[in-house]
Amino acid sequence: NLIKGSAAMSEKTEVDLTGVKQNTGVWLVKVPKYLAQQWAKASGKGEIGKLKIVKKQGKADVSFTLNEDLTSLSALGEKAASVRAPRDHPFTMHSVGGQTLAVFTETSADKISLEGMVVQRAECRPAVNENYMKLKKLQIEVSTKPQRLTEQMDRAVTNNFKPVSNHVANVEYEKKKRAEGRMVRADRQQVMDMLFSAFEKHQYYNIKDLVEVTKQPVTYLKEILREIGVYNTKGTHKSTWELKPEYRHYQGGEEEIKGD
Amino acid sequence: MASLGGSSSSSTEYIVRVPKNTSKKYSIMAFNSGDKVNCSSWTQARMERDMSNRRMYGVEETEEGAAGSEFGKKQREEARRKKFGIVTREFKVEDQPWILKVNGKAGKRFKGTKKGGITENASYYIFTQCPDGAFEAFPVNGWYNFVPQAKHRTLTAEEAEEEWGRRNKVVNHFSIMLQRRLREQERGPDDDDEEGEKGGKKKKKKGGRGGDLRIHDLEDDLELSSDESDSSGGEDGDSKPKKKEGDVKGKVKKKKKKKRGSDSEANEDSDDGDFEGLEVDYMSDESSSEEEVGEEKAKSNKEAVPKGIDEASESEEESEEEKQNEEEGKEEEEEEEGKKTPVQTKKKRDSSGESDTSEDSDIDGEAASALFMVKRTPPKRGGGRGSGGSSRTGSRPGTPSIDSASTSNTLRAAASKLEQGKRQVVGGSSESPAAKRLKMESSSTAVTTQSPAPSGKSTPQPPSGKSTPSSSDVQLTEEAVRRYLIRKPMTTKDLLKKFQTKRTGLSSEQTVNVLAQILKRLNPERKNVNDKMHFYLTE
Repeated sequence: NLIKGSAAMSEKTEVDLTGVKQNTGVWLVKVPKYLAQQWAKASGKGEIGKLKIVKKQGKADVSFTLNEDLTSLSALGEKAASVRAPRDHPFTMHSVGGQTLAVFTETSADKISLEGMVVQRAECRPAVNENYMKLKKLQIEVSTKPQRLTEQMDRAVTNNFKPVSNHVANVEYEKKKRAEGRMVRADRQQVMDMLFSAFEKHQYYNIKDLVEVTKQPVTYLKEILREIGVYNTKGTHKSTWELKPEYRHYQGGEEEIKGD
Repeated sequence: MASLGGSSSSSTEYIVRVPKNTSKKYSIMAFNSGDKVNCSSWTQARMERDMSNRRMYGVEETEEGAAGSEFGKKQREEARRKKFGIVTREFKVEDQPWILKVNGKAGKRFKGTKKGGITENASYYIFTQCPDGAFEAFPVNGWYNFVPQAKHRTLTAEEAEEEWGRRNKVVNHFSIMLQRRLREQERGPDDDDEEGEKGGKKKKKKGGRGGDLRIHDLEDDLELSSDESDSSGGEDGDSKPKKKEGDVKGKVKKKKKKKRGSDSEANEDSDDGDFEGLEVDYMSDESSSEEEVGEEKAKSNKEAVPKGIDEASESEEESEEEKQNEEEGKEEEEEEEGKKTPVQTKKKRDSSGESDTSEDSDIDGEAASALFMVKRTPPKRGGGRGSGGSSRTGSRPGTPSIDSASTSNTLRAAASKLEQGKRQVVGGSSESPAAKRLKMESSSTAVTTQSPAPSGKSTPQPPSGKSTPSSSDVQLTEEAVRRYLIRKPMTTKDLLKKFQTKRTGLSSEQTVNVLAQILKRLNPERKNVNDKMHFYLTE
């Protein structure tokens, strides 16, 4: 069975449309990165600042003022102490124009609801002053620093490539081998049973894999295999062993007990 | 909230909050204004992720139980991929597109693809106003552009390209999709009624339908786009006609009548007499061709004729040797008549056993085309078809040749076969349509073993009509070779091609011997063209 993902259309989530039915309008505001970072630091109720809307003869001026306590910048490292985040941010308003934008939310429980439509787009800009310029300079310095650095060392590292009489891994391997000891020939019938059950799981086996599975010496195993199996030299399953046709009972995945 | 009154200006301040504990993730659903989407008008909506891109590697390749699987295959495959540095992109559910279904099954469908990079340099926030007047700002997690999904059937890229090539020929674009639908249906259980009606309604349906129909050269020709497709589409076209033919088979009978009536009326009104003064290589009767198409299809109903033709077309294009389906091919050719471009004619001629090497002289081409010219069938058909089979003279008097003769012979044979099979042939040489009827007189020009019978239709041709090897249409005679060599210089290979063994009834060895003798007798002059030795004779 091929798993290709699109099968389960069952769990289609019903979208909660109350937001749009009420014609809820929201604003989509583009906010600079540093400001978003400051906002993330908000505490308590999450107050981050104040939005001021001045309506002058039909035109509206919107601006945002960041709370004082959020102006300390830590993101940029030690140097940031001298610079503070700007507080005044006028908003540039745009119309929604060529796109119809809706806002939807997903909860962790996979519930989707449509919150409303975007009625106004805005860009939050910092008021350009000297403080901001310093901030920008700092940001640029940080970002242009290369990620990798080449240093010159005084002394060479001498912890590697030392000559060794016997490598650690090798020693362990030999120990393990000695512990296991030579493989003992088990009863012929037993070995055959082991083989049959192995071939039930997979059709083609490498001789090495069979040795590992049965824990039998190679020559003995080959002898038995020659009796009940056949060796593939060509084709896709190169140099693998499989059972003789009369012993096989493969049926599209179903397993059957193969008899002698 | 502080309110400051002021002359002609009022300013209000609102507190902005960024809620901390929100478990909701906000995303933007963007529609194109042109789609005129009004969310408030939706009654119901369902949305889910589109998981169709998920590929479970390894699992996808072969999921088998015992049979055919190897021990440790998965691990080996994985190790192999690592070795080659193949990195498969992780499947992230949050990045998958959304499928939005509005208003249930019958409503609209949208696909929302995630727009990348919106959170890279700036953040978007959604400002909503709370009942207490303060604003709350939520960061936007993702932006999805939603586009409506078409429910109607569309053409695939290859089909679209083909149709694009035909756009100047096809007038009735409705037929394009219809054709496609026909193609997709299995042979046999066609919904005759449905399609028949449709056929009747659309005038030009026939033309469009015949994928293997040949087109007129004339630009005004309607819907006879098969030619283009064949010539331009090459193999593509081939497979199409095959299917089309098969599909159409069933409907042909029913439609025939309807179509015929409508088609002939329409065509005659518009086309007759229009092209009288034109000098064109290939003329054909639209209505006749269409009718013939229908008829032919009916006939092809019988047996593997369409298949034969398709094969013929294919082989012609590829191998230039078309033997086995000669007759069938001819039948088709006749039916389709007339709308053959030079390429087509070549193809046709192939089936008649003549070489359609590009080296063939123009004369050959002309002859063939002349042969296959279709007459405009008059309202009462029957005859028209048969006459297709019978030799027709092109408007070119000078196109005699063995080729045409032999072709016409086989044409006639095919025609007669068809006639016997189905159609009621109405009167012999009638195809007497009004203005343009191009008759091909095979016999007058050709020297063949067959007697030229312009009215080849109803009379079942004598055995000689059949293109059996013995009554070869192409005799390997000195006369024939002489004629070829006079016309144009040919290599021995070309000559051999002209006298294909199946046609002459001789084995290849014999052919070679006889040809050699003839050449000795004729003693033609030699000329080296393109590093090949060509023979030629001067009158």
